[in-house]
Amino acid sequence: MRLLAQAAVPREIGVFEWLLDPDSWTGPTGILASAWDTIVLCSIVIVIAVVVTVPLASWLAHYRRGELTATWAVTLSRAVPTFAVAGLLVPVALRQGWGFEPWPILIALLLLALPPIFLNTYTAVRQVDPGAVDAARAMGYSEWDTLAKVELALSTSVIFAGVRVAAVTVVATEPIRAFLGGDGLGRYVRDGLGQNNDGLVIAGAILVAGLAGLTTVIFRLAEGLALPRGVRRLASTSDR
Amino acid sequence: MSAVVAQASNPIVRWEYFVDEWDQILEAVVQHLELTVISVAIGFVLSAGLAALALRFGWAAGPINGFTAFLYTIPSVALFAILVPYFGFSRVSAIVPLALYTLLIIETNIVAGFAAVPADVRDAADGMGMSPVRRVFTVELPLAMPYIITGLRIAVVSTVGLVTVAAIIGQGGLGRLILDGLRRTFWTPMTIGAVLSILLALALDGLIYWAGRRATPWANRPKGTA
Repeated sequence: MRLLAQAAVPREIGVFEWLLDPDSWTGPTGILASAWDTIVLCSIVIVIAVVVTVPLASWLAHYRRGELTATWAVTLSRAVPTFAVAGLLVPVALRQGWGFEPWPILIALLLLALPPIFLNTYTAVRQVDPGAVDAARAMGYSEWDTLAKVELALSTSVIFAGVRVAAVTVVATEPIRAFLGGDGLGRYVRDGLGQNNDGLVIAGAILVAGLAGLTTVIFRLAEGLALPRGVRRLASTSDR
Repeated sequence: MSAVVAQASNPIVRWEYFVDEWDQILEAVVQHLELTVISVAIGFVLSAGLAALALRFGWAAGPINGFTAFLYTIPSVALFAILVPYFGFSRVSAIVPLALYTLLIIETNIVAGFAAVPADVRDAADGMGMSPVRRVFTVELPLAMPYIITGLRIAVVSTVGLVTVAAIIGQGGLGRLILDGLRRTFWTPMTIGAVLSILLALALDGLIYWAGRRATPWANRPKGTA
């Protein structure tokens, strides 16, 4: 079984020696391939979460519905037991013939990604200045245009912050996939623990934490670029 | 082919397991509870200290929040694993990360609770000649209670979920049943571990909610009857 197939890495290997060895990075079980594995899965999760949640939450907020769902989202976002959920889904997935991977972890991560995006989208759209919405209506904007061009545009940065929180949480949680019959960047921690190889454990932990940190940095940088031009101009003029 | 045979005799839950392996299940539940309670208790004490610093010294609030938020983004697999070379597959390696993860939740809620105390109330307490220490414990703390309890509830529920992840370092209570079932492709312990851990979270959440209501009877009184 996959769980038992462990890469042969010499014991008591130095952390940096291993990290700096080009052979650790290349090949099908190399760091680059494993990181790519993780990045692809996380990207799929985040894209699905955004596509499902942003339209739903902004629609609900526009028509002032689903207040209770929004309150629940706060609590839920911190409470989804990913490992238990994925554990419950593994037998189901195998029985359906979907295999060990990646459905259970994908669904579990999706549950983790939905609440922060929902919460931020909902509160942001909800708190858009009613004056701006009234002005749009007075200018003859349809409900759809008001939502898309005014409310969502003004909410961009808050929604983006929600996506960042979701992305960091998902990237930080994804490594448990290595313990659920998959691979990804968590594989080195798993192999290190299994082989009692402290160097590999530490190196693996550094890699996993590094990718989560990198995700935060990239999203922070992208946050500035993602602002609509009009909103950015608004922010720069209101400073004066 | 053998997989098909194995699947046929491998239901999601085999009920005899409860009888045969009762001791193991009970041990897992107890360990799960212990890890949760110890971690949240340590996390609460540390959070109270950090919150006191943040409330007393305004400039400390930002850095403290940044630090606890940073801790929260460290992947659990990494934080559990990194301690193994130093503390082994021990309880310490599980409790340290679990306690650190609760800081962001509890500290934020304590600060929010004290910040929500109306300035008038604080002035009234001062006007009555209360010492600052007495004011904090007899006036501000009770008013901040609902926030603190909410923080505790979220921290406990999320810790119960995270304890299962500690199974990867040989701790983890019910998480060990999940991992064990996974390794042997035997669904019964997996399902039992997952379901019980979710039920445990709900039960503890309800317990703290109930205790919180008992502790703050004035908060449940309908407005205007006081």
